[in-house]
This record gives sequence, structure tokens and C-alpha cells, in this order.
Amino acid sequence: MGGLAHYLEREGLPTTQISLIRKHTEGMRPPRALCVPFELGRPFGAPNEPDFQRLVLLDALKLLERNDGPFIEDFPDTPPGPPADMEGWTCPVNLAAPETDLSDAEKYALDMKQEATLLRPWYEESVKNFKGRRLDGLTGYSPEEIIDFLVSFVDDPSINSFMEDQPIERALKLTADDLKHFYYQAAMARPGNVSDIQISDWYYGETLAGKLFIKLRELCLGHETEALQMIGRTNFVPNAMLKHI
Amino acid sequence: MVHLSDFPEKQRNMLINQDLPDYDDTPCADGPALSERKIAIITTAGLHLREDKEFTPGVGEYRIIPNDTDMDDLIMSHVSTNFDRTGFQQDFNTVFPVERLRELASSGDVGKVASYHYAFMGATPPTAHAAVAKDLAGLLKSDDVTGILLVGV
Repeated sequence: MGGLAHYLEREGLPTTQISLIRKHTEGMRPPRALCVPFELGRPFGAPNEPDFQRLVLLDALKLLERNDGPFIEDFPDTPPGPPADMEGWTCPVNLAAPETDLSDAEKYALDMKQEATLLRPWYEESVKNFKGRRLDGLTGYSPEEIIDFLVSFVDDPSINSFMEDQPIERALKLTADDLKHFYYQAAMARPGNVSDIQISDWYYGETLAGKLFIKLRELCLGHETEALQMIGRTNFVPNAMLKHI
Repeated sequence: MVHLSDFPEKQRNMLINQDLPDYDDTPCADGPALSERKIAIITTAGLHLREDKEFTPGVGEYRIIPNDTDMDDLIMSHVSTNFDRTGFQQDFNTVFPVERLRELASSGDVGKVASYHYAFMGATPPTAHAAVAKDLAGLLKSDDVTGILLVGV
């Protein structure tokens, strides 16, 4: 992002930016930056806090009137409201402990589809609560189809892609993202201030899907193909969730 | 909360200490008072409309987000899993504050909102953006943009 600031500013276009990782901004030296102390993924602090978001935005935009860059200003406040990691969140569905072994791919796929079936009404409730807004839909495949794709890769990591227009590493990335979005959307069905960490702890610690993702990471990291090694590093298990491995 | 402090030390250090290109200082381009500027948002959150082609990792490409788009149609194909997406799910303004920008235009704090905003994929080598930024600058100027907000995740 800092690179874009340099390139656009050199074309005569004034830029300002929100920075979540100060050290990167110090290294890139963009003309103007506002460093914010928020969690990664929330550059305007918190959802559904319009007054606070507007304050952050206006602070960043006001920097456009200064021409003494490069400089970094710091936004001093943390988002209002209860902390997103408050205790007490539970998934709407009480899933059975995942005992199925991935060595039996067929049974694993069946059990995962049962898991998805249990989550489906909560996914639909969540989409309704968010007035139709949903994050899945990168591929158009159903969770059940994606489960078959992903389990087939675990069963045989040498398979060719299961999407006609995508190489295997992209097919894995896009379908995995869609499946995860389905689970996360279902988990957010109950109103409240939940965080990625809470849902991720549930996903990677308590669901068959999480267990499958941990296996996908392991297989990709050990794969001979560099592109698969890359998505093994970045795509399946967030750094903050490596504790579940 | 997905703060850097939640990362295992090795992964945290890898992220913080990654190699970055060296840039000479870029002089600040001048412009009018904020209340007279036309503002565009450029996000590197890998946002695009559901019907758009998803991003390809490592490629310096962008997607166009018209200001009159139904922003609830925005989805995210960012390559990294290492940041919170629940905030974006609950309210796109957490990542892409276009409604807040419109409010600032209505209140007179900023002049106008651009007709088009743009989205890139983060975690792309900054130098990959050099060529496309020149093209993008022309588009922004043709929209009479006089201030750009860059936002990562």
C-alpha cells in the first residue's frame, strides 16, 4: 500500500493512508499516514460504530492538507463498546466432538456434510439478520460439493484441479474460503459483538472442517509444488490458530 | 482480537521484518482545502463485487468499485487468513468506509465523493503496482479526484 502512495503522489495525486503495522509504514515512508492501534482487518476500529469510524476517517483525510511529509501520525483512541473478545460466545449449534479419522475419506466427507447440514439453518438465519449480506460465493459451489472436493484432495494430493478454469492451488484456496465463510456466517447468527478469534477457536478446535483445514495445510506444506506450499503457508490456518495443531 | 501480539513469535517477526523496497522520499502533492477536495478510496483488502473475477496473488491488478454500487455485494478474496473478517462481515465500513465518506461530504467536511473507488490485493510486492498505478492515476484524474485515501487490512 505504501508503494501505491509513492506512485500516485508522483503522478500529482495527494494521498493519505491508514496504517495497521507501524514498522511497515516507517520502512515504506509514504507521504502521509495515520497509524491506528486496531486489530488486523479492522482499519476503522469496529463494526457498527459510525461516529468512531467517521472520526478515524476525518483524522486521516485532514492529513491531506499537510505537505510536510513523509510523516506518520498516531490515532490515540481504541474503539468504543465492549471488547470483541468478551467471553460468553458459543456457537448456535452444539457439534459432536470430531472423532472421525481423515484416513477414511468417504466417512469423513459424510460426517462433514452432516456438520454442514446442522449449520445450514443458522447460516440462513445469519444471512437474514445481515439483510442478505454474505461473504461466501467466490465459486458458486455448495458446501457439500466443496467438502467432496477438499476431501478428495486429502485422499489423493496428486489430483488435478477440481475446477475447470483454475489450477489446483487456486481451486483449493477459493473453495476453502467459501466453506469457511459458510461456517463463520452460521457462527455469527446470534447478534452480538463476536471476534474472529472466538469463531476461529471454535472452527479450528471443534469442527471437522477445521480439522480438515489443518490437514490441508500439512499436505500443502509438504507438497512438491511451490504454489501449493505457498497456500499451505497462507491460506488454511491463521497464525493465531497454529495453537490448535 | 487479531493483533500482532496474538501471532506466534516466529510468524510475528516474519511479518514485521519482511523485506520492503526502498523508496526515495516523495514530495507531497499540493491540493485545495479538504472541504473542496474530491476523495476516492483505494483499499488493499482484496475486495470486489461477487460477479467480478477474484484476485490473482502477486499480480498488481485492481477492481473498480463504482460509488453507486450496492456495497453489500462486496466480497473479499484476500490471500491471507491472518486478519479479522468478522468486522467486514458485520459492516463493510469497518474496512471500506464509503458511507462515512458520504456523510463527511454531506456535512461539508470534504468536497465530493469520487465516482469510482478501487481495490487491490494486499500482500502483493509493492513494486508490482508501479505500472498499474500510472494507469490508475489517469483514471483518478479524469474523475477530478484531488485526494486519495489508501486503506489496508
